[in-house]
Amino acid sequence: MKISKEIILSLEILTEHKVRTFLSLLGMVVGVGAVVVMVSTGRSAQKQIVDRINRMGTNLVIVSAGKSMLIAGRQRQMNIVRTLQVADAQSILEECPSVALAAPAVSEKVNIRWEDQNVNTTVAGMSVDGFQIRGIKPQSGRIFDPEESRALKRVAVVGSTAAANLFGSADPVGQQIRIGKVLFEVIGKATPRGTDVNGLDQDDVIFVPLETAMRRILNVTYVQTIYVQARNSRLLKNAEEEIASLLRERHRLAAKPDDFTIQNQATLLEAERETTSSMTLLVGSVAAISLIVGGVGILAVMLMSVRERIREIGLRRALGALRRDIRNQFLVESAILAGVGGMAGIGGGAILSWAISRFAHWPPVISLDAAAVAFSFSVVIGVFFGLYPAIKAANLDPIQALRSE
Amino acid sequence: MNMIELENIDKTYVTASVETRVLKRISFSVQKGEFLSIMGTSGTGKSTLMHILGCLDKPTDGHYRLDGTDMVSLNDDALSHLRNNKIGFVFQQFYLLDRATVLRNVMLPLIYTKEYPEDAKEQAEKLLAAVGLTERATYRPNQLSGGQQQRVAIARALINNPALVLADEPTGNLDSKSGADVLAVFQKLNREGRTIILVTHDRNVAEHANRIILLKDGMVAEDRVISSPLDADAESRAEAEKEMSK
Ligand SMILES: Nc1ncnc2c1ncn2[C@@H]1O[C@H](COP(=O)(O)OP(=O)(O)OP(=O)(O)O)[C@@H](O)[C@H]1O
Ligand SMILES: [Mg+2]
Repeated sequence: MKISKEIILSLEILTEHKVRTFLSLLGMVVGVGAVVVMVSTGRSAQKQIVDRINRMGTNLVIVSAGKSMLIAGRQRQMNIVRTLQVADAQSILEECPSVALAAPAVSEKVNIRWEDQNVNTTVAGMSVDGFQIRGIKPQSGRIFDPEESRALKRVAVVGSTAAANLFGSADPVGQQIRIGKVLFEVIGKATPRGTDVNGLDQDDVIFVPLETAMRRILNVTYVQTIYVQARNSRLLKNAEEEIASLLRERHRLAAKPDDFTIQNQATLLEAERETTSSMTLLVGSVAAISLIVGGVGILAVMLMSVRERIREIGLRRALGALRRDIRNQFLVESAILAGVGGMAGIGGGAILSWAISRFAHWPPVISLDAAAVAFSFSVVIGVFFGLYPAIKAANLDPIQALRSE
Repeated sequence: MNMIELENIDKTYVTASVETRVLKRISFSVQKGEFLSIMGTSGTGKSTLMHILGCLDKPTDGHYRLDGTDMVSLNDDALSHLRNNKIGFVFQQFYLLDRATVLRNVMLPLIYTKEYPEDAKEQAEKLLAAVGLTERATYRPNQLSGGQQQRVAIARALINNPALVLADEPTGNLDSKSGADVLAVFQKLNREGRTIILVTHDRNVAEHANRIILLKDGMVAEDRVISSPLDADAESRAEAEKEMSK
């Protein structure tokens, strides 16, 4: 009762100097706003990437031919390596206990024609299990079966971007297309999968049976990739190790370096988490600096307030206020001041991060916890920076305070 | 029984270059239930003495005992509690909070009591009625006349039911009718058993008390008992009649 009365009176005082209060709060508003924006957009960016990694497939291990390197954050295969074979995939499936499925695949940019349309698109030759491992499902029509794969049938499943580029609004299923020089029948259209970890469109692709691609289109005997599914997510690491030692043995590498690269989803996620944690550190330090600036603003406004209200302080002391009553009054005031600033910062930050995520086509992430932490932090800062003015006010001599002008 | 005992009270203000000895070896006692006027010309140290009596200021030298307790030995918290529940102070400059309503101003000392009373608002309203300001309860002090502000200050001094009321020039800003009303309030409080000390430079005001102490150059120059104090109630009625007949 008596506390709430004092708070109301304090708030009246703060609203008396609107401009001054606003300016002193600006630092706090910006600081808290920055925290909310950075955490929210950071999280939605991260969520975006994690979603992409998860969309690649379930319990996925990717074996690629050759030593691939990370260049400017993207996987690049350095040169063509011909040692990865279809038989390797069969062997991985049979000999690695942690592996549930293995699907060899090839891909290459090829010229595609339909009627008078002409586009350059990635053709992916993949065994039927590849669809399951990578979670690719038909949106219309169907995907090819193992029988068609073995029989080198000329059937194709188009990704949604490739379909749009080639057929426009026409229904792709049942159309006859030319991949290179070979005539294929489109039997299905895949559900859209969006972009991959590297930001590449995963839908600008045409899937054909692996054998068909190797013999009829690319004329190769080796594969570029083997998609492997581990039995469960805990076996990803085991699967990777088993595959590595199996391939080294099969490729007779002895002392030579690996002629393949293995990645698994867990490692990708882990790498992602590392980037995020260094981001978080940056966010944290920027936020800390802005909040300290905000705290100094509070300190300034509270010192002014104490000086202006020196008579009031003297009067309250004369009427029986204890030193700690005066101190607490000013602490509550600066905490409220900071809290209001924090609230405004959260509001502004939420709006801004919503706008950013819309603009960047990221899923909006509302970090309520970040907002709560930023808010409590601003109140703590208010109390901390209000401490000096409050103690100063509390230690005033009553009669001197009353008599000062 | 002596409520107040002053013994060789000295007060010297030290500023950058000069020392001003305002109070010089002041000694007197005040009994419980007395109504005392302190008179003196401007600058003789009346307000300074009142601040010491009100436990707001400490003497440079000497002893001040209130109800037998030596005030000089008490710590800040104890003095604050004492100011809050034993002493009602009416300041020469009123010192009202302009942001708060008249009612809130009157209630202000209650915030610092041990137990905030349930009927705080009713108590304040009763006191405002006693000083004739019921209709001004929701005004701000800067919307009131000087005399009205003074009466708010009086109501505020009485809210904690103090045993000792200290009033510094409480009628200084009032016309004779309002002045008489305020003095009538003090006389009534005194009849109810409260000890009252009133500072004034006006002999007519001073003579409403049972006793007058005259300060001169920071010393007690005269200390005498008034055998038949003036009756403020009667004066107030007379003033009212004068108003009517005009
Ligand atoms: N803080 C101070 N520092 C120095 N001198 C002071 C201080 N306070 C009061 N004085 C001096 O003490 C003297 C007494 O002041 P005080 O206010 O007690 O007078 P007063 O009797 O109440 O006068 P008035 O009737 O005008 O109110 C004055 O000369 C004043 O200048
Ligand atoms: Mg004075």
